[in-house]
Amino acid sequence: MRLAKGKNVNLAIMLLVITLFQLTCLFTLLSKAEEQYMLSSIITFGVYIAVEYAYFIGARLVLKRHGFEVELIAFMLTSIGLSITLSVYPSKAITQLVAVLIGIVGFIVLQWILRDLKIVMALRVPAAVAGLGLLVFTLVFAGFTHGAKNWLYIGNLSIQPSELVKVAFIFVGAATLEKLQSNRSLTKYIVFALGCVGALGLMYDFGTALIFFFTFIVISFMRSGDIRTIFLVCTVALMGAVLVLMFKPYVANRFASYGHVWEYFDTSGFQQTRTMIYSAAGGLFGVGLGNGKLRDVFAATEDLVFGVVCEEFGMIMAGAILLSYVALLIYSIRHSKFARSSFYAISACAASGLMLFQASLNVFGVNDLLPLTGVTLPFISRGGSSIMCCWMLLAFIKAVDRSTYRYGGVRQ
Amino acid sequence: MKSISRRALTLYLLIIFFMVGCGLLFFNLVTNADAWSMNRANRHLYSNGVLATAGDIKDANGNILVSTKDGKRVYSDSKNLRMATLHTVGDNAGYIASGIQTSFKDELTGYTLLDGVYNLKRYGKGNDITLTLNSAVCETAYKALGNKKGTVAVMNYKTGELVCIVSTPTYDINNKPTDIETDTSGKYEGVYLNRFFSGLYTPGSTFKVITAACAIENIPDIYKRTFECKGKIQIGEGYVICSGTHGKVNFEKALNNSCNCAFAEIAAELGAEKLTATAERLGFNAESAAVSGKIRTAKSRIDLSKSAALDIGWAGIGQYTTLINPCHMLTVISSIPNGGTAKAPYVVNKITTPEGKTSYTATQAVIGEYFTPDTAGKLDTLLRSNVKNQYGDNFFPKMEMCGKTGTAEVSDDPDKRPNALFVGYSQLSEMPFAIIVVVEDTTMSITSAVPIASQVMKTVKAEYAK
Repeated sequence: MRLAKGKNVNLAIMLLVITLFQLTCLFTLLSKAEEQYMLSSIITFGVYIAVEYAYFIGARLVLKRHGFEVELIAFMLTSIGLSITLSVYPSKAITQLVAVLIGIVGFIVLQWILRDLKIVMALRVPAAVAGLGLLVFTLVFAGFTHGAKNWLYIGNLSIQPSELVKVAFIFVGAATLEKLQSNRSLTKYIVFALGCVGALGLMYDFGTALIFFFTFIVISFMRSGDIRTIFLVCTVALMGAVLVLMFKPYVANRFASYGHVWEYFDTSGFQQTRTMIYSAAGGLFGVGLGNGKLRDVFAATEDLVFGVVCEEFGMIMAGAILLSYVALLIYSIRHSKFARSSFYAISACAASGLMLFQASLNVFGVNDLLPLTGVTLPFISRGGSSIMCCWMLLAFIKAVDRSTYRYGGVRQ
Repeated sequence: MKSISRRALTLYLLIIFFMVGCGLLFFNLVTNADAWSMNRANRHLYSNGVLATAGDIKDANGNILVSTKDGKRVYSDSKNLRMATLHTVGDNAGYIASGIQTSFKDELTGYTLLDGVYNLKRYGKGNDITLTLNSAVCETAYKALGNKKGTVAVMNYKTGELVCIVSTPTYDINNKPTDIETDTSGKYEGVYLNRFFSGLYTPGSTFKVITAACAIENIPDIYKRTFECKGKIQIGEGYVICSGTHGKVNFEKALNNSCNCAFAEIAAELGAEKLTATAERLGFNAESAAVSGKIRTAKSRIDLSKSAALDIGWAGIGQYTTLINPCHMLTVISSIPNGGTAKAPYVVNKITTPEGKTSYTATQAVIGEYFTPDTAGKLDTLLRSNVKNQYGDNFFPKMEMCGKTGTAEVSDDPDKRPNALFVGYSQLSEMPFAIIVVVEDTTMSITSAVPIASQVMKTVKAEYAK
C-alpha cells in the first residue's frame, strides 16, 4: 500500500507549540478580563485543551493512528476563534465552547460512519431528505435577520440550518455519485442540489447559495469529468443570476458599494473600510489580543473576524491562517489519489474546496476584492452552526487518508 | 479512481485563485497600510476624527508646543505662541495639510508597517518631534505681523534650520473661531494655508537680486555702466514706470534705489533666455525637495517664453507673471552669505521614540550651488549697501544686515494695495540668519515689511547673539 509522499509532522512538538499559543491567549485574556469572566475564560480554555489532549492521546495511543495534520490545523484555528469570542463576548464563550465540543463529537462520529461505505449508502436518502427539509422548514418559518432569512430560533438558541446542510450536501452528493449507475441518480442529485441552492437564494443568503453551487460544481465535475456540462450549468446559473439582478434590483443594491467602499465610508462600506483600516493598524505582529478597535464594529467576530485577526494577531498570523485552508485542500487532493473509493476522494475535495471557497468569500469580501456576502471564516468566526459544520466537514478530509482506518478494521 | 484524482488536480485552480487573491490582499494592505491606518476613523489614533493620541511636538529649546494628556491634544499655554505656531504645528483635524501633526502623523503616532500602532498601545503615545523653531522669534514675528496677512520666516543660512515660520491669518486652536467657515469678509482667506510653504507671491523688486546676479554673470562691464532714470523708460512698444526719478545712477545705486528704469533696461538687454537660465539654476520651475522630507512647497515659476521686450523689462523688476514661493526665495537669499551654496531648509530637528531613543536626527543638505562665490560676494556687497545706504542700519543695529525690499503691485484695481516684501540676512557669524517678510495688502515695504523684519531680527539677535 503506497501512501502520499512526505513525512508526518511530529505530533508532540506541534501539540506543544499549539498549547503554548493557547496558554498565551488564555493569560492575555485573563490579564484583561473582568472578574466575572475570569472563570469562564479558564473553563473554556481548560475544557478545550483537555478535549484536545484527550483526542490526540486517544487517537495516537488507542487507535494507534499517525498523521494529525488535519486536526492540528483545526484545533489551532478553533482556539483563535475561541480566544476572540472570549475576548469580545465573554458571556457567549461557553455557548461557543459547547458548539465546538458538539462539532468535535460530530467529527468523530462522522469519521466512524464514513469508515463503512454501506452505512454511507444507507444514510444517503435520509440525509438528503433531512437536509432539504431543514432548508424548506427554515424558508417557511424563519424571519429576516440582517437582510437574510437564514436563522432559526429555538428559545434562546439560534441556529443557521444552512451550515448543517453543507455537511449533508457533500455527504449526499459524494454518496449518490459513488455508484453512478444511471442518469436517474444524477438527475435526483441535481434536483436535490437545485433545491438547496434555490432555497438559499429565496432566503437571500447569496453567499451560502454560491458556496453550495460551487460545491455542486466540484462534486459533479469530479464524478463526471464533463467540462461541457459544467460549463453549461455555470452559464445557466450566471444567466439566472443576471435575471435575478434585473428583476430584483434591491438584490443588486446590497452589493452596490462593491469595488469602491471608500466612497461609502460611513454607510454600506462601513464594515469593509473599518476592516482595512484596523487590519493595517495591526502591523505584522498585531496590537495584541484585546487591544483592537475593530471589535466594536458590527459582526466583528463573525463576518469581519479576519480583520480582528489582522489587527490583534498581526498580518503574519493572518497569512498563516489563510495558508492553512490551502493546506487542507492540498492534503485532500494528494490523498485522493490513494483513496479507497471515489466517495472519499470526492467528499474530501468537496469539503476542503468548500472551506477554501468560503474563506475566499469571507476574506476577500471584507477587503473589497469581492462583494461582501456575509459568510463566516471557517473555524474562526463565532457561530455555533458554523463551527459544528467545519468540524464535521473535517471528517471527510480525515476520511480520505487511508491510514485513518488502517487499524480500525475496514469493511469494504 | 485515477481519473477522479486527476480531476481533483483542477482544484489547484481554486488554490491559484485564492493565492492570487491573497497576494493582492496583502499587496493592498502593505502599500496602503500607511494611508489606511492613518485614516481619521482609526480610533487608535483619533477621537471623533481628531488626532488624540500622539507624541509631543517641542520647539528647539524643548518647550512643548503640543502633547497628549488624557486622550486629548493639549497645546501651549501661551495664546500668542499657539497663534504663531499654528501653521507649523498644524491642527489635529487635518485642515492644515502642511502642519507637522498632519504631515508627520506616522512619526507622531509611532505607526510602522512592522508594528502597526502597537507602540502607541504600549506607551500611550508615539514619537516626540523636536522642531527647529524658536518660540520667542515666532511670537515676535506673529505680533509684528499684527492683523496683517502674510508670512515671516527666519532660516539659519549655514545649516538650513528654520527658526521661525509664521503665517497669517491664524487662529487660536484652543478657541477656534466659529465664523471661520461662514465668514465672507475675507479675513480668514487662506487661513488653513501655511503661506510660507504653500504661498506664491509676485516678487516685485526682490526679484532685482536675481536680475542683478544675471547681469553680474553676463554683462562684463555692468559696474562701469550708468543708467539714466527719468521716471519711466520706453522699451519696445511701451513704458516701464519707476517709483521715482533717480537721474544718473550706477549699478549699485540703481539697486539701492530699486530703480525700475535701470533694471528694466538691464533685463531687456539680458533677454529672456539668460534671465530664465539664471532663475532656473536657482530652482525656479522645478519641484523643490520636500522640507524635512515631508512638507511640499509650492513651485516658484517664471515663464518668459512668450514675452516681448517690454514684458522682459517688467519681469526684470519682478512685475511680470513670475511668482515666488517664500520658502524657496528664502533659500535663494540664504545662499548669498553662504558663498552661493544653498542649504536645504528643514523644520524637524529630531524624532525621539517613547523609549527615549533618537530615531531621526536632521542632517544638513546642500540643494545646489546657486551662485559662484564671486557672484555671491558681489551680491553680498550690493545687499549690504542697500541696508547701509538706503534703508538704514538703525532698523538693524549692529547686525551688518543685508537685504532687498519689494513692493509688488498685484492688481490693477486702485483700491487694492500692494504686497510688501523684504528679504535679507545678517553678515555676523554669530547670527547667521536670513529672513523673509511678506505682508499682503499694505503700504510701501520700507514702512511695512522692513519694520517687521527689524523687530524679528532684533529678537533673533537677542536669542542667538547675546
